[in-house]
Amino acid sequence: MATIAPAPPAPIALDVRRLPRTLPWYVAVWGQMLRRKPLGTVGGVIVLGMLLLAVFADVLTPYGFAETNLRERFIPMSAAHWLGTDQIGRDVATRILYGARISLYVGFGAVAIASVIATLLGIFSAYWGGRVDILLQRVVDAWMAFPGLLILMSIMSLLGPSVLNITLVLGIAAGLRDSRIVRSVALSIRENTYIESARAMGSGHTRVTFVHILPNVVPTIIVVATTGLSTVILTEAALSFLGLGVPPPHPTWGGMLSLAGLDHMYRAPWLAIWPAAALSLAVFGFNMLGDALRDLLDPRLKGG
Amino acid sequence: MRRYVLRRLALAVPTLVLVSLIVFSIMRLMPGDVVIRMVEGHAYAPTVEALRTELGLDRPAYVQYIEWVGGILLRGDFGSSYWTRQPIWDEFISRFPVTLELALLTILASVVIGILVGIVSAARQDSASDYVGRILAILALSIPYFGLAVLVVVLPSIYFKWTPVYTYVPLTTDPLQNLKIMIVPALVFGVTRAGPIMRIMRSSLLDVLRQDYIRTAWSKGLPERAVVLRHALKNALIPVVSLIGLQTPLYLGGSVIIEAIFRLPGVGLFFFEALTRMDYPVVQSVNLIVAAMVVGLNLAIDLSYAFLDPRIRYR
Repeated sequence: MATIAPAPPAPIALDVRRLPRTLPWYVAVWGQMLRRKPLGTVGGVIVLGMLLLAVFADVLTPYGFAETNLRERFIPMSAAHWLGTDQIGRDVATRILYGARISLYVGFGAVAIASVIATLLGIFSAYWGGRVDILLQRVVDAWMAFPGLLILMSIMSLLGPSVLNITLVLGIAAGLRDSRIVRSVALSIRENTYIESARAMGSGHTRVTFVHILPNVVPTIIVVATTGLSTVILTEAALSFLGLGVPPPHPTWGGMLSLAGLDHMYRAPWLAIWPAAALSLAVFGFNMLGDALRDLLDPRLKGG
Repeated sequence: MRRYVLRRLALAVPTLVLVSLIVFSIMRLMPGDVVIRMVEGHAYAPTVEALRTELGLDRPAYVQYIEWVGGILLRGDFGSSYWTRQPIWDEFISRFPVTLELALLTILASVVIGILVGIVSAARQDSASDYVGRILAILALSIPYFGLAVLVVVLPSIYFKWTPVYTYVPLTTDPLQNLKIMIVPALVFGVTRAGPIMRIMRSSLLDVLRQDYIRTAWSKGLPERAVVLRHALKNALIPVVSLIGLQTPLYLGGSVIIEAIFRLPGVGLFFFEALTRMDYPVVQSVNLIVAAMVVGLNLAIDLSYAFLDPRIRYR
């Protein structure tokens, strides 16, 4: 019986080691950032600095964030209290450091929740299409018709101020809003031929969604999430400012600026200046980082 | 065009029904009991039950919902405040001019600043004035409006003995005094909103300036003023208008804080006070009214595109 021996595989001429090394996009983007986006780099440094200050807050300051000292009220900037003390003798610098912790906690927490919701909802709505899409989009429409702060204030006064509540609420709110953007990107991806061929080769809906659509939506999600961070931090500050965000004695920048504490600020203007400065710097950092990431990862979303 | 408007209006109906459902359920889920607070703290009625019956809170939720929505649709009645028993619509209408004036002045301030700086920035791309403009835009984006408002209220009163005027005077009584009161909050709010407008004006104008018809305009020998302002600007305004539209809910939401800081008796303060007193009918009706306004405004903005760019036609 004659057998046909399979031809030996042709030697591969390509030497993999000689190929220029290509970094995955999520690594390469940081190199591009350093080279092409000075403002984005500055933003990244600010965010990184804020992270470090927040993490090492315990080590960096001898005071506790709720430690009162009634003999040392309204002390202006001094060696013992770099940024002064407030109406019950708490160290302002300490509270700013711990405030960074809460801002970041709420910011990253809410954005993580938002990303998951936006991704699932956006892809599902786009991929399924038809009546499901129409129905879901009407819910999103209804949500977007609310003037942001009013409905958030209503919900927060229902739930009561707490770190967990505000993170959840801001996360869900942002997730519903961002699902629009994810949906529009997923809609255009769905029309590609490779999706059709994946279906034709027998991939199930779950596989198509997670293996073929999701990876292509990820850059958009990262962009939307980073740009969303500053909005979330600002909204948390606004709600805490009104007393509906993070409850005392937890220090937050918005809460330190608070409407209720306005009277003390006439006596001690630093109580207004430093939290406002910290908040602005953080928002600036996140904005710059988000803008640069958007330009590098998904220029389609470029707004202004 | 008419069909498009009708279809959009038809789409607005389910949106608003959903809005009313969402806001109503949120209010019913509120934990604290306003009735107990009204009876025990303020002696509004002899017993809790009596007040509950009087306010209609002893009936099932769906009956209350139907009554609320039915009242709005059939009689234009948005319900009454629990505490003052005044009709919400009357209070809303009497306070709305303050909020509207604040919003219009704010939009005016942010649009004037944003568009002017944006035009200069784009027309002189990469010059010193462009960089100054862009840095200003970034700064404006980063400073939270309530932070700036607090600083504007607090710092000048310490160092310059200047305070904003806190006694509100309606526009109709004394227009000049009214403007003096409104100008500071509007500028504070407007400056922080000018950042995004500035940036989108710049990038959109840069886009338009690179188009063929602009090259034609230049080659006809038109002066720069005519090319930029007459040929390019109108087309470049479309994204700006849509951004202003997108931002309007922010103006309405932010007015709560601005009105609270500057003590302006507008809708925002009405809402905030109602919220702290658990005055749910006010909270839900104001949410609904404002949401309806946002929906209407979005439609108006979409229609304004057709005016700005005659190539856009709605079917």
